Amino acid sequence: MKTAQVIFEDGDHKWLAIVRDPNRPSYLVDTNEYLVLAGDDAILLDPGGGEVFSAVFSALSTVFDPRRISKLFASHQDPDVISSLSMWLEFNPDIKCYLSWLWGSFVPHFGGDAETFVTIPDGGMDISVGSQRLQAIPAHYLHSSGNFNLYDSGAKILFSGDIGAALLPPGEDGLFVENFDRHIRHAEAFHRRWMGSERAKRDWCARVSRLDIDMLCPQHGAIYRGDDVRRFIDWFGQLEVGVLGA
Amino acid sequence: MAVRGAGDELRRIVHVNEEIKSVVATAFKINLMAMNAIFLAKRAGQTALGFGVLSNELRRFATDLQQQMAALREMTYGSVGTVTGMLKQTQLNRVLGRAHAEAVGVGRKLIDEFLRGHSEVMLQHEESLAALNRRLTHMIADTTQLVELGSVLARSAKIEAAYGGAFSVSLMQVSSDFERTIGEIQRSLETISKHQSQEVR
Ligand SMILES: [Fe+2]
Ligand SMILES: [Fe+2]
Repeated sequence: MKTAQVIFEDGDHKWLAIVRDPNRPSYLVDTNEYLVLAGDDAILLDPGGGEVFSAVFSALSTVFDPRRISKLFASHQDPDVISSLSMWLEFNPDIKCYLSWLWGSFVPHFGGDAETFVTIPDGGMDISVGSQRLQAIPAHYLHSSGNFNLYDSGAKILFSGDIGAALLPPGEDGLFVENFDRHIRHAEAFHRRWMGSERAKRDWCARVSRLDIDMLCPQHGAIYRGDDVRRFIDWFGQLEVGVLGA
Repeated sequence: MAVRGAGDELRRIVHVNEEIKSVVATAFKINLMAMNAIFLAKRAGQTALGFGVLSNELRRFATDLQQQMAALREMTYGSVGTVTGMLKQTQLNRVLGRAHAEAVGVGRKLIDEFLRGHSEVMLQHEESLAALNRRLTHMIADTTQLVELGSVLARSAKIEAAYGGAFSVSLMQVSSDFERTIGEIQRSLETISKHQSQEVR
């Protein structure tokens, strides 16, 4: 089972990170799931693959009633992001899944029907969770061609999907980035190979630089806090991407 | 599982788990209450010796209950794993069922074989879930007995409180709190038993 950790709390507005399953088989890439709670409502960000459903479900059940999750947010179409969809729907057939319009007819191959999906236009949209309004921020081509981050201005948290992802070796897999220079070595090859567009990268860096961000939360690896957020954006801005080989 | 789906089973487990969580919180509260009661008894001195002994017992009861609930939660998470396996089988069966309806000739025969294999796997899942459920039911019965003991302790504390002299009123207040809180746990356990008896055999 994974563990659920509170990373932000202000009254009934909370962020939980669901992370690090000691029983995860090594052939599966490790993922972070995030749950944003506001009052009686909740949205689960990048719910994960079918293989980790039970670890995610059990972990979040330790701290939260899963019946209150009304929405899922899928940053993009990858199996490690949303292939658990059919299981969530089996548990709650009324759950809504927010994702890029580009994948609106692809992801239903994982489950769901016309009722399930709320498609996000390329420019992004607001998603209400309880009294909070979250913003889907365009991050196309990073790496997926239809790709969104989710920004919570109340919590000053940006969920960045695969951007900022790091594949951490055992023993260096803390929840937060503690030493940026050491950490970023585990992110470099991934970003070079997976992020496909130099121009999209520059656009993204400019876009998120305008946001007030205390924490940048990727789907893989560790969370960037404080000055490390700025450090990451600068680092990414400088990195040559879309390159085969290191 | 023929009648109810794996999704229903998952929702039932969530009901049980949410109720367990509320008992865990209450057990924690009782532990704190018992600690306060022990201090109060110490202050009251000679007149509250019996009350002090009972407070210690109530504290031990709360600790036992917390352990018992932790074990129950552990078991419900085990059930989530098994039910997830069943969810996957349910989906596979649905897909194979559709393929079966469309297939002809040798394809149909192959799918027949597949379906037979899968119904065996499903049966295994059902059996392990039934075994987990039986263990859970037993543990809930054990817990109910434990809480019955707690309830007796609380009532005895109330009687002892009457002999508390100058401290009688505050001791009475504390023991009434115990009684009420343990009553809450008893109601939660009844709810759990009710959900548990809806399990699929
Ligand atoms: Fe991806
Ligand atoms: Fe990913």
